[in-house]
Amino acid sequence: MKEEQKSQSGTPLIIIGIVLVIVVLGGWYMYSSSKSAPRKAANNATPGATPKIATIPPNAPPGATPPNMLGSPTASVTVEEFADFQCPSCGSTHPILKQIQSMYGSRIKFIFRNFPLPMHDKSYDAAVAAEAAGMQGKFWDMHNQLFTNQKTWSADPNYREVWAGYAQKIGLDVEKWKNDMAGLPAKSRVDADLQRGRGLNINTTPTVFIDDKQVPYPEVTVEGLKNIIDSELQNAQQSQAKPAAPASNAGANTTTESANAPSNSK
Amino acid sequence: MKAIRVIAAIIALIGIADAVYLTVHHYTAEAVPCTLTGGCEQVLTSEYAEIAGIPLAAYGAAAYFIAFSLVLLSIYGNRMAWTIFGVQVVLMAIFTGWLIYVQAALIGAFCQFCLLSAATTFTLTILFLISLGLRRVSQ
Repeated sequence: MKEEQKSQSGTPLIIIGIVLVIVVLGGWYMYSSSKSAPRKAANNATPGATPKIATIPPNAPPGATPPNMLGSPTASVTVEEFADFQCPSCGSTHPILKQIQSMYGSRIKFIFRNFPLPMHDKSYDAAVAAEAAGMQGKFWDMHNQLFTNQKTWSADPNYREVWAGYAQKIGLDVEKWKNDMAGLPAKSRVDADLQRGRGLNINTTPTVFIDDKQVPYPEVTVEGLKNIIDSELQNAQQSQAKPAAPASNAGANTTTESANAPSNSK
Repeated sequence: MKAIRVIAAIIALIGIADAVYLTVHHYTAEAVPCTLTGGCEQVLTSEYAEIAGIPLAAYGAAAYFIAFSLVLLSIYGNRMAWTIFGVQVVLMAIFTGWLIYVQAALIGAFCQFCLLSAATTFTLTILFLISLGLRRVSQ
């Protein structure tokens, strides 16, 4: 009887209510005080996990051809990113990869692959929007707009109108861009990239490869990528230097420096 | 018996804090500090991290909150609440087993915050099973 009285008293409900308020306020405080500092914590990551490290096999599906590429098509080091425009981690990785591109310029070949995940309702359309912009030579401008403003359009039910604003801002012929978004070629390019990603068993974004070797996600930081790229550039230089030693028959035995690079460069 | 329920309430609060932290991370897109396992982002941005557009962590927060509420009600004398709590944590433990399999076999990386959540779920289940054992002994 005593226990029942206790149960009927409002004490547990009051405690539950207080905990609920603390949880909601605490969550809101964490959310509002977070500034989305790009991947600052990832720098603290230490190796020790057992990420599934994939290597791109030579017979992997080629993806969209020509790929969306920055840098030099003949560069000895290839950085290939599979990303989803609506994935928050891809959004926070974007400035890292931009920094890498500006640091290395034509010394690397940077390829972007669309890999819209099914759980993101607007990501496939976003990939098509970027490809449609690419048909007017503005893929990278739209790519930047989509990643930079990811939070804005992701939460907007009229996201296509928001994108049309970006299209206008970057100087696209908006009507042609809209037609291209509805057409097959842009979608086919997205599908081709998706097929390549699936062929490589990618199940998370962003996934970055450097010279066909998957970079463990904790290493996808400016420092981590820089270490790998520097080492690959050094290896490429060394393999270039080696055949030069027997100068007498240099012409007879030329090695191709980009043996590891994907076959589909622009 | 009451001590077990008080411990369960505290463990459930830890589960709530962990799940709320991961939910907030999901919406702010900030990387979580991952000093122990190194694979947090790979897990948290995988295709398994959401169900119907809602992060798994949010479901977890709701589940832990319900578990906490049930434990609290049982501490204050509601016998049915502890039984419902038991059913809930057993189901949570089964689902947690699946999530550990996903991390180990399908993603190939572990997230320390997900492992903490798994530990809290398994602890809650063990506490419930201990309480059943103690009840039988006392009978």
